[in-house]
Amino acid sequence: MPSLEIDNVKKSYDNFQALKGVSFRAEPGEFVVMVGPSGCGKSTLLRSIAGLETISSGAIRIDGRDIAHDDPSQRGVAMVFQNYALYPHMTVAQNMGFALKMAGRPKAEIDAAVQRAAQILRITEHLEKKPKALSGGQKQRVAIGRAITRSPDVFLFDEPLSNLDAALRSQMRIELGRLHAELKATMVYVTHDQTEAMTMASRIVVLNAGQIEQTGTPLELYNRPTNRFVAGFLGTPRMNFFAGRVVRQDGSAISVQLPGVDLNLDLTLEGEGPGVGGEIVLGARPEALDGAGGIEIKGTTAVVENLGREALVYVDTGALRTFDSESQEGYVAVHRPYQVEARFGAHTSIRLDASRLYAFGPDGRSIAFPRSL
Amino acid sequence: MNGRTRLVAIGMHLILTVWTIFVLAPIGLMLISAFKSQAEIFTKPLSLPGSLNLSAFQRAWNIGIGSFMLNSLLVTVLSVAVIITTSGLAAYVLARSEAKVMKWLYILIIASFAIPVQSVLVPLYQMVSGGHMLNSQLGIVLPYAAFGIPFTTVLFYAFFLEFPRELEEAARLDGCSRLQIFFRIVVPLSGPVVASAAIFQAVFNWNEFLLALMMLTEKSVRTLPVGIYGLTTQYSSDWPAIMAALTIATLPLLILFILAQRHFVRSLAGLGK
Repeated sequence: MPSLEIDNVKKSYDNFQALKGVSFRAEPGEFVVMVGPSGCGKSTLLRSIAGLETISSGAIRIDGRDIAHDDPSQRGVAMVFQNYALYPHMTVAQNMGFALKMAGRPKAEIDAAVQRAAQILRITEHLEKKPKALSGGQKQRVAIGRAITRSPDVFLFDEPLSNLDAALRSQMRIELGRLHAELKATMVYVTHDQTEAMTMASRIVVLNAGQIEQTGTPLELYNRPTNRFVAGFLGTPRMNFFAGRVVRQDGSAISVQLPGVDLNLDLTLEGEGPGVGGEIVLGARPEALDGAGGIEIKGTTAVVENLGREALVYVDTGALRTFDSESQEGYVAVHRPYQVEARFGAHTSIRLDASRLYAFGPDGRSIAFPRSL
Repeated sequence: MNGRTRLVAIGMHLILTVWTIFVLAPIGLMLISAFKSQAEIFTKPLSLPGSLNLSAFQRAWNIGIGSFMLNSLLVTVLSVAVIITTSGLAAYVLARSEAKVMKWLYILIIASFAIPVQSVLVPLYQMVSGGHMLNSQLGIVLPYAAFGIPFTTVLFYAFFLEFPRELEEAARLDGCSRLQIFFRIVVPLSGPVVASAAIFQAVFNWNEFLLALMMLTEKSVRTLPVGIYGLTTQYSSDWPAIMAALTIATLPLLILFILAQRHFVRSLAGLGK
């Protein structure tokens, strides 16, 4: 299996720089997921790898060979599109075999490749149907099958599951995972859905405003985000951010004061802090606020989202409000690993445990992590 | 359905009924007149024919409607083929090109709508004559194509703008060249717009009179409208025969329209997006 290397790729449209020098490497057989908010450049990067966009500078290498200026069909990549992009006038089998037919391969070889891909995807009984006779999930399978028949060096997926309903999406996630294990192919997958990223990726690339914020395994990114953007982007509900002030510093040990919290929180810095009197942002994952340790902060229940065996409770604590999260209106999100009787205005509390908090410097870089991580 | 929408629906149907009668009346008149005698047409113009008299059709056929029809068929098929091929390729390039000059070219094509045939009759005649194409099918096919291409290009342009780009991108990844994308992916999926363009142009060129009258003076190359016109003379006209000839001339288009009507309506519904 070949590797894919993106080397300082830049892409600009008239006045807009979509990619500002992106570099990463997908190792052979790796499942790399590129995530980021809309307009972050992830689709542009994927389309550049496919050859549907020309890059302004940089190199794209497959197994060391720069393909950045090759014709799309000569790059050894196959792409699965968001809207399937199946040819409506061809049968499923013709759709899947079209690339091989264009390459002038003998009919027997095409038929064999189509049969093999159809078996892997369990769509053999649909081969003679036209795409319009298929359901959304079946169409997406055919689109994946079309990629498989080409036996490409690198598979590219452009938000392939976003047109499917929730149940089908989780089923296809499992199926894609199985497919990756079976084909052992190098795959690059673009999505804005962090669940897809967390569940399927061997490595995640987080993009923001045309730049890579961080790359790493899903858990690396979740546990040790390099900055506030990554910390906030991965995890639902988002990490709670609180604005505080450093009141004491002794080497790497600092004390932070948060509004509405009587006691100071003691943290150990791993990076450069803002100094005494400086502003600092503390971050707490919703699951870190439901526990036994730390300081208790009383509040009232604003919203309860019961998910069955667990619940998300949004707590109004009065003085201590989160920021950087429009959807939460300043309420603190807490994850309770048990059912909660939904009652608006009921008394409840959160627990702030300094050993489970993140801290971010004024420039947004992570400077402290929970002690266990 | 409440009273108000019911009232609106009745009103709409009323208007459509009147309009339909208005459109169909001349055709009906043509049809019944074709079966009448010359005297009947003038004494009882609106009544049904006294007997089913087919002699008018016979007289019409005898003056060479058959060969006129063959000429019309040849001219129409050729000109429509040229129009569709040229406009299709041109519109695809215009719809896909990012170049500014193409936008200007497109505006120029739209502007060319504004040129009436009558204003260029003389230079057009001189050009066709200078090219030694008077009294030849080519001499009429080329002007027809020239006047048909702008509208058809605009029609195709609107369709291609809406054509899903992902299909073309998938085809690029599958190894198609630009031309292959056009002929293997875009054309097979352009049935509705091709059908409506073909009907439009076929109707127009089939019925075209002025240019044909000018360019085709010899009887052997005349198209239907000019040929039928030959049935009128300065002092007397064989009206039943003229009506019979017109009825024969209308039939092929009617059949074409019935066959392709579904596509026609669908593609017009998408126009103006």
